[in-house]
Order: sequence, then C-alpha cells, then structure tokens
Amino acid sequence: MIQLRNIQKSFGNQPVLKGIDLTVKKGEVVSILGPSGSGKTTLLRCINFLERPTEGEVMIDDITVSSQKGSKKEILTLRKKTAMVFQQYNLFRHKTVIENVMEGLIVVQKNSKETARKLAMEVLEKVGLTEKANAYPVQLSGGQQQRVGIARALALNPEVILLDEPTSALDPELVGEVLEVIKRIAEEGITMIIVTHEVSFAKDVSDYIVFMDQGEIVEEGTPTVIFNNPKEERTKRFFKRINREAGILESNLSSVI
Amino acid sequence: MDITLIFDFFPKLISYLHITLLILVAAVAIGLVIGVVIALIRIYKVPVLNRLAFIYISFMRGTPILIQLFLIYFGLPALLTLVHIDASRANPLLFVAITYGLSCGASFAEIIRGAINGVEKGQAEAAYSIGMNEKQMMVRVILPQALVIAFPNFANSVIGSLKDTSLAFTIGVMDMVGRGNTLIATSLHALEIYLTLSMIYYGVVICLEKGFSLSEKKLQRFEGSLSAEK
Amino acid sequence: MQIDIPFIFMALIEIFKALPLTIIITLVPLIIGFLIGIGITIIRIRKVKGLYSLANFYVSFLRGTPALMHIMLIYLGFPLLIDKLAVTFRWTFQSTSIPILLFVLMALSLTAGAYMSEIIRAGILAVDQGQLEAAESIGMTNFQAMRRIVFPQAIAISLPNLCNIFIGFLHTSSIAFIVSQKELTGATNIVASNNLKFLEAYIAAALIYWGLTIISEKVTALLEKRVTVYNRGGVI
Repeated sequence: MIQLRNIQKSFGNQPVLKGIDLTVKKGEVVSILGPSGSGKTTLLRCINFLERPTEGEVMIDDITVSSQKGSKKEILTLRKKTAMVFQQYNLFRHKTVIENVMEGLIVVQKNSKETARKLAMEVLEKVGLTEKANAYPVQLSGGQQQRVGIARALALNPEVILLDEPTSALDPELVGEVLEVIKRIAEEGITMIIVTHEVSFAKDVSDYIVFMDQGEIVEEGTPTVIFNNPKEERTKRFFKRINREAGILESNLSSVI
Repeated sequence: MDITLIFDFFPKLISYLHITLLILVAAVAIGLVIGVVIALIRIYKVPVLNRLAFIYISFMRGTPILIQLFLIYFGLPALLTLVHIDASRANPLLFVAITYGLSCGASFAEIIRGAINGVEKGQAEAAYSIGMNEKQMMVRVILPQALVIAFPNFANSVIGSLKDTSLAFTIGVMDMVGRGNTLIATSLHALEIYLTLSMIYYGVVICLEKGFSLSEKKLQRFEGSLSAEK
Repeated sequence: MQIDIPFIFMALIEIFKALPLTIIITLVPLIIGFLIGIGITIIRIRKVKGLYSLANFYVSFLRGTPALMHIMLIYLGFPLLIDKLAVTFRWTFQSTSIPILLFVLMALSLTAGAYMSEIIRAGILAVDQGQLEAAESIGMTNFQAMRRIVFPQAIAISLPNLCNIFIGFLHTSSIAFIVSQKELTGATNIVASNNLKFLEAYIAAALIYWGLTIISEKVTALLEKRVTVYNRGGVI
C-alpha cells in the first residue's frame, strides 16, 4: 500500500502542491488528471523523491520517508520499491535496449549478468521488443523507446510504477502501442500511478481517478463516478474543455461526458 | 624566500606590462585582418587559395608557438635577404608581433568560419525571402549573429595569446618576463620574481575576462531576452 | 637565402629521437591532470564546504597564468620547500637529487588538472538531466548513477575537447626546453646550435610537431566514431 500524507511542495515562494493526501492500494491503477500546471507531475516526482517535498511524508509498505528528515539511505530504499517511466523516456543513451533493462537488475538488485539477461529478455518479450534487444535507443522510434522505458521499470518488479505522461512526447500514431502495453501490465495486477492527458485511456485502464487543479486534489473516485457524475465545478469545466478541444472525439469518450 | 621582495619587484615588472600588451594588441589586429580574409577564402572556397589557407591553418594549429617563433625569427630575415633587405638587426618585437599575429590569424579564421556556418540556415532563407541580396543578407543578418556566436571563442583565443606572450623572451624581447630574467641575474630571487609575474598575468587575465563577459552580455541581449521569456 | 635541405632530413632523424621524452611530458600530466580534474569537478558540483572556493581559485589561477609560470614556480619553489622540510625533519635527502623532469611533470599536471576539470564539468553538464533522474529512479545511488550513466556519456561528449587538450599539451611540452629538458624542442636547440643551422633545425621540428598533430586528429576522429556509436543511429 502507498500512502501520501500532506505532501506540500513550493518552488521558491510559489506553492505547487498544497497538501496532498492519497492512498493507493496494492494492485490498483490510479490515474491523475488535470490541466497543465496543476502539479500532477510534481506530485508524481515527490513519490520517489526526485523532488523532495517541502512538507509531508511518503509511505510505501513498511517504510515511511518524511520530507524533512528523509535520509539518503531512506530515499534509496524508497526508490528501490518504485520505478518510473518518463515523459522523455530517458533511456540510457550509451546502453543498448537490453543493457538498459539489465542495468538496474545488476547494479541495484545485484543479480548476476546471466540472470539479469534472462529476466530482461522476459520483460522485453512482454513489451514486444525482443528483436530490438541489441539496438541503441537512438535507433528506435519514440513508441519503441517508451516501451523499453516501461520494460526497464517493470524488470525491477517494483511495488509501484510511476508513469509521468508516458505518451505526451509521442507522435499521435505511436501512442496506441504504448497505451496497449500499459494496459496489458495493468491487467497483470501491477500497482501503477499514471499522470496522463489521455482521458479516455485513463477511464479505460484505471481503478481510481484523481483530478487535480492548482496544487490540490479537487475530486477523486472511481472512473464511473468521476466521468459520469462529477460533483465539482472545476472538474466539469475541465472535461468540457477537453471535450471541446478534442473536436472530433472518440465515440466512447463523447458518450461519457 | 622573502615575500616582501614582491613589493620591490612589482613596480619594476609592471612597468614593462605595456610591452606585453603591445604584443597582444598587434597580434590581435594582425590576426583579425588575416582571420577575416582566410575565413572568406574558405567559406567561398576560392580555388587554390582555399587549399593554401587550409595548409596554413593546419600548420599553425599543428606546431607549438615556440617553434613558430623561432621559425619566423630565423626564417624571415633569411627570406628578406632574397629581396636585399637586412632584417638581422630588426627589433625582436617585430618578429614576435608577426608570429603571434599569424597564430591569431589561424585561430580567428576558424572561429569566424565556424560562427558563420553556425548561424541557422533558415536565417539566410528568411533574408532572401524578404528580397535581400547576398551582401545585405551577409552584412545585416548573418554577421551580427555570427559575431555573438564567435565572441566567447574569440575572447578565449585572445586570453590564450596573452599567456603565449610569456614566451617572447626566448628570442630576446624585453617584455615583463624578459625584464624578470634580467632582474633574476642581478638579484638571485627568481622565485619571488616569477611569483610577481604570475600575479600580474593573473590580474590582466581577470580584467580581460571581466571585460569580455560584460561585452558578451551586451552582444547577447537578444538571446538573453529570449531565455528570460521562457 | 640558402636552405640546406639534406640537413633538414638529418635533423629530422636526430630530433625524432627525443620523441619519447615529449610523449612523457605530454601524457603523464594529462593522465594525472585527468584525475585531479575529476576530484575538482566533484568538489565543484557537490559544493564541498571549505574546498569549494579553493578549487575555484585553483582552476581560475592556473587557467589565468601561462604554463611557463607554473613550471618556473614549481621548479624554483618546490626545492625550497623540500630543503626546509629536510632541515626540520633531519632528512638526509636533498632537493638537488630530484631530476628537473619531475618538477616539469608536477607543474604541468597541475596545469592539466585545471583545464581537465573545465572539460569534465562541461561534459557532465551537457548530459541530459533526465539520465541522472532515470538512474536514480531505478534505485541507483548518486555515485552509481554518476559513474555508470553520466560519466561515460560525459567523456564521449568531451572527446573533441580531450583531443584539443592533448594537442595543446603536446605543444606546451615544448616549454620544458627552457628548463633544459631534451625533448623535441630541446633536442632541436642542440642540433641547431651544434651545426649552426637554426632555420633548418626548426623546420624539421615544425614538421615533426605538425605530423604528430595530424596523427592525433585522425586518431580522435576514429575514436569518436567508435565511442559514439550509440549516437549515430544506423547499423551497429
């Protein structure tokens, strides 16, 4: 179980997160939606302390790391329980696809090279990239790179995978393959927290939806409740705008809003 | 070692700073002329000359300044005897200025060429698209931007040349280091003299760096405002 | 003007024998300087208390003064220090028994350290911040992330600068002749004054340095192709 308690974050005098509380149960897929600048990405980065929160604490399983006192060692333990998928993929440029996946298995989890290779191949199989195992990241399309990013996270078998707008940097025609992979993993019962702009995908894949605006959680609940019956004015407005901007909407999305 | 001697040596040595600066200014002036000409030759790929320019740059980049200094010092008078000019008694400062000028010329040429090539291709296309001719495009659009790109490298190169002037004494120039060596012969306090020299060089380099970085900020105002908007 | 061309060939052969010393005076400082550079970079990036200003001053001073000064200061100053220590601790050791070469190597290592630290720092800053984040997100320590992910990429990015500093130090090594080292330039001086053919001797020396520079550039170009295979795309 993952619990965030009163997470606050300011950059200078600018408050970005104004006290977020959130609980994610094991095996749950949670999507965080909201307009840009609402603090969703910052919240995600606070979970593995890539951003150190100004206030609050993060609890995963048996360990709790607090914003102020969290030591290097505690943060490291926290990061070993999490993995992240980045908007810009951030694959290690000087390593091949399989080396990218093996890196954490060897360096962090201290597996032997052979074991790591075997595990990495299994994961690459899941994301459908075994034939690209020896390619370098620059030789791949954005969609393929992001699938490697997912494989790298998945290989570590973390308590939770944090996905930061995993499809935002992709050309529209490549979004599908990545979403499909994420969906497949979600069905395996892996805990995930996803920051995304893909509203219809979020509805499809999530067990729980969190809607954020201006550094706070405006509304949260099951997809059915949030999409069919939002209570808050801000949530309604957001979906209305998404609706308008999308222009030609996919049929399932327009039926929801 | 006697640190207080530094106070004695300081005025004696700094009174020769103008020779060092004179070499630098002459070298930069000669270098700029050569640099612009060579850069143009290379950009417009003038036949034959382009080849020669390439060899010139490669040679200057490929040999130590010390060797270049000796080559000019011994070679130039020998060349001049062909036209019946006796340069064997010329002031060694002349040879130093020519050597450092040639050396600066080579680096400036590459810096200028790199900067002009470094201006985005779209800039030239945009200039043509509003009806500028090639010269207008070069003078009004490309060069001002190239100057900004070239400036930091140019500044580095000038500071490098200043440090290189410390070798001029090897052919008998009476600059700061030359004067320092005569002081060593009479006072036997070599360490203090070199400490003093180092301090003066450091001071001049710091001043140059400050001056350059101020000018750079002025030059880059359009870049700056751009990043400020982000 | 008369140039004795056969003598240039003779001089070439004679001067070329001094190449090993030039290589030593070039490479040893660069290797030690690389290590110093890494140390300085760590101090500067981590902003280590107390050492930070010192490191900044070291880099700024060494880069702000001619290499000749470094050689002379160490050559003149270090023996004084040794002799003073020898008196205090009653060593029987005397500074005169230290070969001058050692001072040259020490001085140029310090010079190289300052320049190397700038190159390494620029390389590290040029690596995308996301690389470090990705490494830390999978649970690597900061040290592991730097060593395994950031540093190798930084070195690959720095390769052209490393080539430049190699050529720079190849040329700087010529200053060592001022403290009577018989490297290429020192040997040239001897050949020149023994035969009173200065121009020819320096032409020969110039050809050797030029050749060495061109070879270094070619080698770098090859290295760059190998090291940055991951940057080129295409077939491996």
